[in-house]
Amino acid sequence: MDTDTILSFEHVNAGYGRVQILNDLSFEMKRGEVYGVIGPNGCGKTTMFNALIGLIIPTKGKIAYDGHDVTKTNAAARCKLGIGRTYQVPRPFEGMSVFENVLVASVHGAGHSEKDGRRVALEALKLTELYEKREIRAGELTLLDRKRLEIARALGTEPKLLLLDEVAAGLTEAEVQDVMKMVANLKAAGYSIIWIEHVIQTMVESTDTLMCMSEGHNLLVGEPLEVMNSKLVEEVYLGVEEDE
Amino acid sequence: MKTKTLEASAHKQVRVFGGLPMLITAVVIVALLVILPLTGVLSSNTQRYLLKIFLYCCLGSMWNLMSGYTGMTSLGQQSFIGIAGYSLAVMTFTYGASYWAGFAVGGVLGAALALGLSVLLFRMRGMYFAIATWVVAEALKTFFTSWTFVKQGAGMTIKAKPYPSTTEIYMIALVLCVVSLVVIYLLLRSKIGLGLTAMRDDADAASSVGVNIFQSKLLCFVICGFFTALAGGVFYLNKGSIYPSGGFGINWTVSIVFIVIIGGIGTMGGPILGAIIYTVLEEMLASYPGYSNIILGLIAILVILFLPDGILGTLQKKFHFEILSQKRFSKE
Repeated sequence: MDTDTILSFEHVNAGYGRVQILNDLSFEMKRGEVYGVIGPNGCGKTTMFNALIGLIIPTKGKIAYDGHDVTKTNAAARCKLGIGRTYQVPRPFEGMSVFENVLVASVHGAGHSEKDGRRVALEALKLTELYEKREIRAGELTLLDRKRLEIARALGTEPKLLLLDEVAAGLTEAEVQDVMKMVANLKAAGYSIIWIEHVIQTMVESTDTLMCMSEGHNLLVGEPLEVMNSKLVEEVYLGVEEDE
Repeated sequence: MKTKTLEASAHKQVRVFGGLPMLITAVVIVALLVILPLTGVLSSNTQRYLLKIFLYCCLGSMWNLMSGYTGMTSLGQQSFIGIAGYSLAVMTFTYGASYWAGFAVGGVLGAALALGLSVLLFRMRGMYFAIATWVVAEALKTFFTSWTFVKQGAGMTIKAKPYPSTTEIYMIALVLCVVSLVVIYLLLRSKIGLGLTAMRDDADAASSVGVNIFQSKLLCFVICGFFTALAGGVFYLNKGSIYPSGGFGINWTVSIVFIVIIGGIGTMGGPILGAIIYTVLEEMLASYPGYSNIILGLIAILVILFLPDGILGTLQKKFHFEILSQKRFSKE
């Protein structure tokens, strides 16, 4: 495997019980890039995330991460290897301060002492622009800040690969701009990011490579604009729209 | 209206009453509680009230550690109390040992019971865990009612010569209360405590950032079993006799839950306040035997309806302060 590749799926089949969702999915992601994933509802984006973090184990194929074969590795071990996830619906520890939320991740997730954990937590808060709000109770945050906190907490576990699950969903246009700025900062800080999103603007402007999934496999990968403009993607994505 | 208050409070920082001022206040209060009975200022009746407060405070704090932090709501605290009461009775009456030996055996058995039960109970969550703990306590009650070694339903008396005075038992209860609060405080201030506080708010999310849920639960359960048993032992030393129906009765847990809910679940100061309120109410209502439970129940319902975080919990949230806080600040 190329050392520039941080993540690869090779002919992966996976699903829940007898329902197979991922169908011969293959792709490769380079270290340090922002890798966007789009596709119509039900095409297997979230299932791909679940297979990646170890919530479901593929029935066929291989998942390689950072030189390790993690196809059958459990979720906790993958977290230790540096795969950090965010929840689509933010789940902060509401009674704790913003700072404490991230401290939990850096102490328990990354295994730091509380003293070293502070440094990591403050660093994560700066990257996500929550530093000024660090002493506020997490339960009092707005939706945008909760999403930032979700990312900050994932950063607290010191991941190499960061999974963003629809972080721009439900935000206003101005807030989406903030999220895109934050992702750019994270990329500059050296994180590899894989990002599922329905907000097309983010995918075109923020990603280096864009993959469009359809029916559990990889339909098209390439330059974001090229992918967005391709006839193939238009067919699966907007196929239901009729000409007037 | 609601968003307005949220925005206004969003920039308020929580003030913490802790550190040196807290330590000094605590030392002064404890010193007063030690000196006053020795100088004879406190009558033995007052000492008896305070003794009860100390024991309830220990019991409530331990239940709070389990239910308020790890989400294990136990309805079977009476298992530990009954086991400890009987350990005390058997050691002093049957074997003629000192009550200290009784406490030691009770504490060890309490911790061992928690350890043994964890294998069985940790597979269950929420309501199932609660019911299972209760069932265990009821099973123990039935077993002790028919066990000839502990004189079946006839109960046992606790023997000691000379029998310790109220002041002596008061001192033991005070030490137990202080030690258990210090243990909980240190636990919550530790790395494990940071994870426990996260578990209090969202156990699944805590697990996803690497908190070891099983280990944390086990530790809390064993600590809780140990101290709950010790408090039960001291209580029965004060009472002098034990019966299966009382020792393993659900009333214990009812009182403990009342104390923690009234005071404020998931806060360290809540059970302390709750223990004081409960003991005062219990003494005040003692002259109305038929109505006392109805009144206590009514109070509990009103508090749950109007102050869902308990008295101290609501005050802390409203005025942005915390007593005996385990809060971490970014600058120390």
